[in-house]
Amino acid sequence: MSEGVDKRIPWVIKYRPKRIAEVVNQEDAKAKFVEWLRKWPNVPKRAALLYGPPGCGKTSLVEAAAHEFGYEIIEMNASDFRRKSDIERIAARAAMSNSLFGAKKKLILLDEVDGIAGREDAGGLEAILHLIKLSPSPIVMTANDPWDQKLRPLREVSEMIQFKRLSKYDVVKVLSTICRKEGLYCEEEALKYIAERSEGDLRSAINDLQAVGEGYGKVTLSLVKELVKPRDREHDPFETLRNIFSARYAWQAKMALSQSQLDYDQAKLWLLENIPNQYTDPEDRARAFEALSKADVYLGRIVKTGDWGLLAYAIDLMTAGVALAARNNPKDKYRWVRYSFPQRLVMLSRTKDVRALRDDIAKLIATHEHISMATAKSEVMPILMVIFRSNPDYAARLAIGLGMSEKMVEYLAGPMKDEVLAYYRKYKEMMQREAMEEAMARTMTTVARETTESTKSTGRGSGRSRRKKEVGTSTSLLSFTKKKS
Amino acid sequence: MSASEKFAELLWAEKYRPRSLKELVNQEEIVKRLMKFVEEKNMPHLLFAGPPGTGKTTTALALAHDLYGEDWRKYVLELNASDERGIAVIRTKVKEFARSKLPGDVPFKIVLLDEADNMTADAQQALRRLMEMYVETTRFILIANYPSKIIEPIQSRCAVFRFTPLKKEDVVSRLKWICQQENVVCHDDALDVIYEISSGDMRKAINILQAAAALGEVTVAHVYKVVGLAHPKEIREIVYLALSGKFTEARDKLRTLMVNYGISGVDVLKQMHREVFSADLKLPEEVRVELADYIGETEFRIVEGADDEIQLTALLAKMALLGKKAGFRA
Repeated sequence: MSEGVDKRIPWVIKYRPKRIAEVVNQEDAKAKFVEWLRKWPNVPKRAALLYGPPGCGKTSLVEAAAHEFGYEIIEMNASDFRRKSDIERIAARAAMSNSLFGAKKKLILLDEVDGIAGREDAGGLEAILHLIKLSPSPIVMTANDPWDQKLRPLREVSEMIQFKRLSKYDVVKVLSTICRKEGLYCEEEALKYIAERSEGDLRSAINDLQAVGEGYGKVTLSLVKELVKPRDREHDPFETLRNIFSARYAWQAKMALSQSQLDYDQAKLWLLENIPNQYTDPEDRARAFEALSKADVYLGRIVKTGDWGLLAYAIDLMTAGVALAARNNPKDKYRWVRYSFPQRLVMLSRTKDVRALRDDIAKLIATHEHISMATAKSEVMPILMVIFRSNPDYAARLAIGLGMSEKMVEYLAGPMKDEVLAYYRKYKEMMQREAMEEAMARTMTTVARETTESTKSTGRGSGRSRRKKEVGTSTSLLSFTKKKS
Repeated sequence: MSASEKFAELLWAEKYRPRSLKELVNQEEIVKRLMKFVEEKNMPHLLFAGPPGTGKTTTALALAHDLYGEDWRKYVLELNASDERGIAVIRTKVKEFARSKLPGDVPFKIVLLDEADNMTADAQQALRRLMEMYVETTRFILIANYPSKIIEPIQSRCAVFRFTPLKKEDVVSRLKWICQQENVVCHDDALDVIYEISSGDMRKAINILQAAAALGEVTVAHVYKVVGLAHPKEIREIVYLALSGKFTEARDKLRTLMVNYGISGVDVLKQMHREVFSADLKLPEEVRVELADYIGETEFRIVEGADDEIQLTALLAKMALLGKKAGFRA
């Protein structure tokens, strides 16, 4: 061992890259991040979200870049973000020091923002979004899994920069450099073993190397085998899919899901989205979808019966069933494909407002007709749409009768909304006028005669029987028809 | 009379719903027994079972009306099992309702629980306990399409009434009567078509009638136009795309249809089924049958509680395979 070894400093810190160029094998991410940081604040997204598996160099790149560009890093743990006041304090600190002459520029680093996704309170996320909006300094976040639905608002305001998992070769290269610098005797096979077990997590590999190297003064295969245990690491959605599709045995496919960040409900949607990306043969596709479909049937039965014992079968089918479906084109299993994020989640969040409006309409109809909202949607709304798009006058009367808002009318009438709304507003106005007249008539009983005169002059009788005859809806409906034809 | 009555229109299915048991023309046996309950001002828990649109809800509301008079709404708690979020919500509502004051001369109030067969077995167990807990002050009327999906202990606590499908002449004469009330011209053959399309479901029939009337007279052409408009043409395109092997395009269209227009999986399937047997679709007859089997299986799985989009996407994959085998060309 050389004299320079200081046991108190973890090697992961000691050998942290000082320059961007030293960050291992993330050229795409580097280029993207450096460009973003160089241009800041003249960038479309005010924050950057660096994501990728653990130990692939996200934080290292931020530190190296900050060093080269002369930024001082203000590091925050995202899980501290509870209150708005915390955020304002940080922002103020960053702003203050920026304004002082000669002070270093600040960069705010929020590590592991995906940690807040699992939390109950939404306050942390709000706080971060708030910070991004008002921060005078660039904000960089890191995450292993940025795909949680709750993080969507964050994804929308961030430049998304993907880091890939490091290869075994990348890890071995770094380890042997450290060995050389530490003057440590290292067997090539031992380093390969550590790298293998680290699954691309450079930080954990360096920690393993240090544990063996410092403890024993050398790193041999037998020592390493003794001391280095495989880590329990959760796989991100992309790895999970790749592991499921490429599995040759049922157990491999099942393990892929058990090691995943995705639970079976999420995995279901990722598979739904990506089976057609991976498998090209129609029969293989149909087979894979059939397996997924049956898994989904089991999941439905679990909800209905509460029998969680069925989960095992659902998982068999959605993992092994899908993996072993590529019988006509087995090569498809190993094809590299760009997996896509489940579009359903994207569409659902995009259409949130419309769906809420549709629910409101359904609720209105359901209460009125003593039916469920589901029936209102599938049975009555299509019928209403027909009416609203073909008979605006009648539609407006229905809208009033059912107590619909203008927004609801617009939704149901679609291209005919102007026509229907014109009638709707006209009737509303007439109703208001009439209600006022009636109120006046009631209060001015003493001058009842005069009031009646004035009502007559507007062309409407006040006699009940006469009104009824005039107002019959059928008459109006037919008169519209005549006009039309 | 309020000013709004002048312009307000209602849905006919509600406007012409019979208000009292006396107005009901179908289900004579059931009505007779229920009138006895009204007379005695006492009744057990009831379970109304039968196909949609045969008058279950109408009968329950009419029974309440006859028991309590015009104020009946005060003494009835209406719940729809498919809309309430879980048994806990139902429990809270029932508890609160059971606590409030009783009507004068009837010794109980009514909880009307529609679509009770959509409740899980666990929820039904909890429901059973509720029925026992408040039996002093409350009677339940459960409504279900499939009585077999109601657990045995609940069935045994209820007087079960089975509603039978309405006869064609009953449906048609009701539709005709509504047209008279509304001064709408209707053609007999159009009413026949409405009956066929709605397969005996009175509410569906009245809804179609109202839309056809909104187009002018109730003619066969207008009825078909309503049904056609109410069923988006995209579904035909989806079937064609899938059969000609354009799987991902078919999938994307399907998703847009379901998410953006809120069409349910079962509705999509019903219409796909129609498309598969339409003469415009050039397919060997045996392939149509095979497709019908797949569509039916898919609907079964969805009804079992599976996910609409997964099931329909799997169906599209099967269609693509079948289309390839049959050498389908759009």
